[in-house]
Amino acid sequence: MDTSSQLITSTNAFFTELEKNKDAVKASWSHITQTIDAALAAHDDRALLALIPYIEQGEGTLAYEYIAESRCILRILHIIRLELAYQKAPFFLHCTDKDSLTKKYTTSLFALRRLFFRLSPNSMEEAANRLLSSRLSVFAVYVMTQEDLITPDKVLYDKIAEICFSYWDDDDKKMFLLLTAKENRHE
Amino acid sequence: MNENKFCFILCTNNEILLSESIHYISHLIIPDGYTTELLTVTDAKSMTLGYNEAMSASDAKYKIYMHQDVFILNRYFLSDVLSIFESDASIGLIGMTGYTSVSADGIMWHAEEKLGTPYRHKDVYPDLSEYRYSLSGDGYGPAAQVDGFMMVTSKDYPWDSQNLTGWDFYDACQSLTFLLNGHKIVVPFQRHPWCIHDDGGLLNLTDYNQYRQMFMHTYQKFLGKHYSEIGKRE
Repeated sequence: MDTSSQLITSTNAFFTELEKNKDAVKASWSHITQTIDAALAAHDDRALLALIPYIEQGEGTLAYEYIAESRCILRILHIIRLELAYQKAPFFLHCTDKDSLTKKYTTSLFALRRLFFRLSPNSMEEAANRLLSSRLSVFAVYVMTQEDLITPDKVLYDKIAEICFSYWDDDDKKMFLLLTAKENRHE
Repeated sequence: MNENKFCFILCTNNEILLSESIHYISHLIIPDGYTTELLTVTDAKSMTLGYNEAMSASDAKYKIYMHQDVFILNRYFLSDVLSIFESDASIGLIGMTGYTSVSADGIMWHAEEKLGTPYRHKDVYPDLSEYRYSLSGDGYGPAAQVDGFMMVTSKDYPWDSQNLTGWDFYDACQSLTFLLNGHKIVVPFQRHPWCIHDDGGLLNLTDYNQYRQMFMHTYQKFLGKHYSEIGKRE
């Protein structure tokens, strides 16, 4: 079999598998969204965090494999897990459902990017105000800058410190400096 | 046709993404003597219908078809694409990511040789504020197909709304339309990516295979072909 035939065969197999999993993917994504909506409405942290093993090792792996938003959801859940473990205000504060949760994540990420790309003073000021109003935790800032589509550097981390140190406590500040020390050394 | 005008065209169903995309567009430097316009198509029935609607509504020579989750970083984007179009009148389409051949299975990114610089987490780029593209220093490479997250055209060809009734393969088909009409497709070499495509790293493949089959059937004779084997050019 030549390379082209092999490619066509493997691609056909991929789509056959996808078709076979279609309903299961839909069901696992539906479970994730419904659990988040119900958990946020009931302030049920445990139900929310139970989604982490579901997505990483359970049937939710299907959603993770095929649905981009589930990857964002998993990052948010890890942020929340850290925040609850360290008794910080959780990311989901003031979020009422899955959509408001991902909206908060998206707009916060956009603000971090604006700070990084420094398009204009107005753009940066808007971003700073957005970060101040969303009061992201150290964990949220760190997970977003380390795992999402942004290439953090010392200048960005210095700018974040300038903004977030106004509401972070001493432990947060120390944690942030420790976590970002590696990037700062690279400069 | 207004030779000195750019039109940004976006199909949208998400206000947050659209607003951010427009924020980056609003920071672009507009070349002297040129104007820009922005056309958004909300809740289009398909990408091709949305793009056709906007295409016919604009008299701009240069049209920038882009996804709502694309953020243009290169503030000199407009003068840089202009310099590429002006370097060779046969260039009809510029993409940010492209492929020099049509993959045998119809899936663009399975082609062997890839062009362009997608923005990636952890990659190292020059400082954006100091980055300037140079046509002579950086140049561009010829492609058979470009990714639809960003397609910049200097010629208008209708998008195939008869066959492409969803959100897939409009880019692959339109690329071949340009080649078959004798135009070159190119992708600039970008030391710093010209834009971010924030698609979550995953394509929605729900209906993808249906359009892949259509593509493979319609363009069967071009599967596995290099760009130089497709179309007739001077």
